[in-house]
Amino acid sequence: MAAIGVHFGYTCACVAIFKDGRADVVANDAGDRVTPAVVGYRDTEQIVGIAAKQGQVRNAANTVVKVKQVLGRSFSDPETQSHSARTKCRVVNRDEKPYYEITAGEQTQLIAPEDVAKLIFYKMKETAQSALGADVRDAVITVPFEFAQAQKQALRDAAEAAGFHVLRLIHEPAAALLSYNIGQESSSGKSHVLVYKLGGTSLSVTVLQVSGGMYRVLSTHTDHSIGGESFTQALAQHLASEFKRTFKHDVSSNARAMLKLMNGADMAKHSLSSLGSANCFVDSLHDGIDFDCNVSRARFELLCSALFNRSISPIRALVEQSGLSPSSINTVVLCGGSARIPRLQQMIREMFPDVDLLTSAPPDEVIAVGAALQAGLLVGREGLGPEDESVTVDVSPADILVKEVDESGAELFTVLLPSGTPLPARRHHVLSGPGHSSSLCLEIYQRFVSEHPEKLSKMVFQELQPSEEQRHVDAVVTMKRDGSVHVSCVEQVTGRSEVVTILAAAS
Amino acid sequence: MLPEAQDGEETTVFAAAAASVQVQVEPVGRWFEAFVKRRSRNVSASFQELEEEEESSEESEDEELQLEEHPLLRTLDPKDWKNQDHYAVLGLPHLRYKATQKQIKAAHKAIVLKHHPDKRKAAGEQIVEGDNDYFTCITKAIEVLSDPVKRRAFDSVDPTFDNAVPSKGEGKENFFQVFAPVFERNARWSSKKLVPSLGSLDSTFEDVDNFYSFWYNFDSWREFSYLDEEEKEKAECRDERRWIEKQNRASRAQRKKEEMNRIRTLVDTAYSCDPRIKKFKEEEKARKESEKKAKAEAKKREQEERERVRQAELEAARLAKEKEEEEAKQAAQQAKKEKDIQKKAIKKERQKLRTTCKTWNYFSDNEADSVKMMEEVEKLCDRLELTSLQSLNEILASASKDDSKAAVDKQVQEVNAQLQREKEAEVLARQAARGAEQASGGGGGGGKGWNEEDLQLLIKAVNLFPAGTNARWEVIANYMNLHSTSGMKRTAKDVINKAKNLQRLDPVQKDEINKKAFEKFKKEHTSVAPSIDNAMPSERFDASASEGSAAPWTTEEQKLLEQALKTYPVSTPERWEKIAAAVPGRNKKDCMKRYKELVEMVKAKKAAQEQVAGKNKK
Repeated sequence: MAAIGVHFGYTCACVAIFKDGRADVVANDAGDRVTPAVVGYRDTEQIVGIAAKQGQVRNAANTVVKVKQVLGRSFSDPETQSHSARTKCRVVNRDEKPYYEITAGEQTQLIAPEDVAKLIFYKMKETAQSALGADVRDAVITVPFEFAQAQKQALRDAAEAAGFHVLRLIHEPAAALLSYNIGQESSSGKSHVLVYKLGGTSLSVTVLQVSGGMYRVLSTHTDHSIGGESFTQALAQHLASEFKRTFKHDVSSNARAMLKLMNGADMAKHSLSSLGSANCFVDSLHDGIDFDCNVSRARFELLCSALFNRSISPIRALVEQSGLSPSSINTVVLCGGSARIPRLQQMIREMFPDVDLLTSAPPDEVIAVGAALQAGLLVGREGLGPEDESVTVDVSPADILVKEVDESGAELFTVLLPSGTPLPARRHHVLSGPGHSSSLCLEIYQRFVSEHPEKLSKMVFQELQPSEEQRHVDAVVTMKRDGSVHVSCVEQVTGRSEVVTILAAAS
Repeated sequence: MLPEAQDGEETTVFAAAAASVQVQVEPVGRWFEAFVKRRSRNVSASFQELEEEEESSEESEDEELQLEEHPLLRTLDPKDWKNQDHYAVLGLPHLRYKATQKQIKAAHKAIVLKHHPDKRKAAGEQIVEGDNDYFTCITKAIEVLSDPVKRRAFDSVDPTFDNAVPSKGEGKENFFQVFAPVFERNARWSSKKLVPSLGSLDSTFEDVDNFYSFWYNFDSWREFSYLDEEEKEKAECRDERRWIEKQNRASRAQRKKEEMNRIRTLVDTAYSCDPRIKKFKEEEKARKESEKKAKAEAKKREQEERERVRQAELEAARLAKEKEEEEAKQAAQQAKKEKDIQKKAIKKERQKLRTTCKTWNYFSDNEADSVKMMEEVEKLCDRLELTSLQSLNEILASASKDDSKAAVDKQVQEVNAQLQREKEAEVLARQAARGAEQASGGGGGGGKGWNEEDLQLLIKAVNLFPAGTNARWEVIANYMNLHSTSGMKRTAKDVINKAKNLQRLDPVQKDEINKKAFEKFKKEHTSVAPSIDNAMPSERFDASASEGSAAPWTTEEQKLLEQALKTYPVSTPERWEKIAAAVPGRNKKDCMKRYKELVEMVKAKKAAQEQVAGKNKK
């Protein structure tokens, strides 16, 4: 059974299909795996995707971009206000809701952001269908973590209006983790993951805790002022000054010329991610003058160095805010098209020197793939309720430790059950002890973050036969939903067992 | 490395663990889905535990697998493999159909290790060459049991399965002990999993219903291909194979049918013995009864209510009537009183007039005049109203003798004139009445063109359709219109009038009419035997028009005749003699004639009625 995952971003949308146990991004009719989330209104038709983006030069007033910024927001929302200030399309107020005023054709019409989103979703659905050769309705759709309920609902409505059966809305960082299969192999183990997403217009950094195969967002940061477009803008500015320097014409006031220049800069930026230098060529940029300019990667990096620093700076603060240190981050996942920029990847690697930097998948497709994987898990399941989308889980509040000594006799704590493990949980450990002594002692501790361990219990094996070999103790730690801990230990040679139950304090 | 314990230390708990905290997790990933599923199923154990337990249980099964060596394994005839118990051969007679594929494989492995010819050869045993060694039985057994289709076929005819169905007698006593194991046993044939259990005496109606509907629609996978007499593979050519197939199919279908019948019998028996069904039926009956009772009660109440209302209405009507009567009575009394008063007054006035007239000596001098005057005055007294009398008296009282005389004369003249008028009017009225009578009644060929023939016809019709006939007068009118030669259209009203008139006619006239008719008839059919046409009137009219020989039939005679007609049907020899004997006072001829008449009458009646019916329809 096929299902699809859709990542509907501010600038681009991407669709992946889940089929036969695999999730794959599918290319649209233009052959691109990512479709610009741009809708152009003409007098007879609506164009979605790259054609609309290119047509923006001629039809700026009737081309809607970044519709996700106003989706589900009220007109008086500051986000809506800033969006309407920046966009070329007129945004009007009606019943406290923003509407686009489109003047294509004979008369003006008001178009709701939901309708624009619907067209984009419909395009994604068509793309998936043409790849599958069959009708497909079940979909998982990603939303940014910071989306409010109204925005989620608007997105869901738009998707359903486009003919999707929305299985679930999932958060983008979680989808990114899922696409790299983090924590999915086994349910034990605990790690911290940083998801760095630099999209077209926004930056979002999220720290997640993966424990027991479940993801939990520890902290997140979103900045809408920086994104791939900022780099393009910087490059375009540079090109404009180059043009001015060569031809003594200022194009910065010419909107169409600037749009052309932006398109050229965008192309050059993409090439610079893989090539050392790129040629930017714009026909008839101003006064019939063709513009041709070569940009090297170093030049680009120099132009954008301030931007790069800005986009990296939130990471450190965020990690600290989560109560972690950079070294305790186990994995960094990069996503968003701009995460392709080599300089950026290098800077992040410098920040987390001994951490896996997951970039193997194209970063702008990662989220869609994760959504498709989730769709594959959900498809065909009965009785999906929206209540499954926000689930609270009982977790262990503290690490459960056992005290051991190393060769030098120094005390050492081994984690039996990490904090944040979803309950109920059971962990099995084999502990070893010296064979020469006639007794063994297991001391169970609990430790909250960066606190001194608190002793909970002591389990003692007395009168054991001394032997040459090491002793091994099977310890099974079970924690119930209320937090009470049950430890049972069996000495492997003699089969003697000790059991202790530590009740949970009343919360 | 775990540390050593100090001497004398024991396992202790020092502090309580911190309570769990709740956190929000992202709704993604398979572990999350597993968690949600678990939570919705409300299973407290964690996912890993469940998985582990499943694994361990499988392992334990393997460990527990115990093989029971077939005691006669070595003596089995490989040629007779079809009749061997494959489970027993593999050492699984205790598990049978419950054995998993895994267990069967394991058992086979174990038994092969023990009984393989190579092994035995090595142990110095004598081996029968080729397929005749008993090891072939083991091969056959695993062949059958490892193939799900073949195994099912073998399971279907498992020799250890008890096909018995308890009888009604057995089931009546302790239903659940007898039937529960039987149903449990047969449930293994069900294609559907989750066979409902028989339940207990306290099972709800739904459960019991569910149970029986399941078993009545039992879908069995049992099939009998194992018992095929011929093997398809043995056939040499296609036709033979086809024939074998046909044979096998037929026998399988037969067996399947028998099996279904067996199940059906079982369920039927259980159903008829089930104490719960009985209970439910009784309950249902009781419920219906009570409903019925309630309904009847409601009806009764309604009727009572209606009766009460009716009584009240009647009472009201009666009271109203009484009141009305009372009023009427009072009014009548009032009227009478007034009348009395008036009468008295008029008497007084009359007296007054008389005395006045007397005092005036009747305005004349001679005796004769006065007498005449007296008569006139008396007439006046009789005729005049109270008011005119009064006015006359006043005039008389105030006026002189002559004036009075003039007044009285005038009054007398007036009264006389009036009397005269009245008389004339009376005479006129009488004349008019006479005229009208003549116009409406009239004699023979009077108004409306009733001629002899028509009258004759009318009489005939009236007799033909005696009183009580449906829409009698219309029928008669129709008959008239149909048979009349005059061409006059007559309505039912005309006919009624005429008939009444005829009845009123004096017998002389009637006789005359009849006679005339008879004469006419004689003229027309001199030789024809007397027929019903003129026989008819004899019944209705006092004077018989037909030949005098036949006296009219009395009702008693008629009855006797009818009875006799019934007792002696058409086939009776000498029927009419016997009938005549049964009716005293009538001979054979009379009876036959009467019979003919009756038949004719009935026929005519029918025809006319049909005509009317047809007309009405139009």
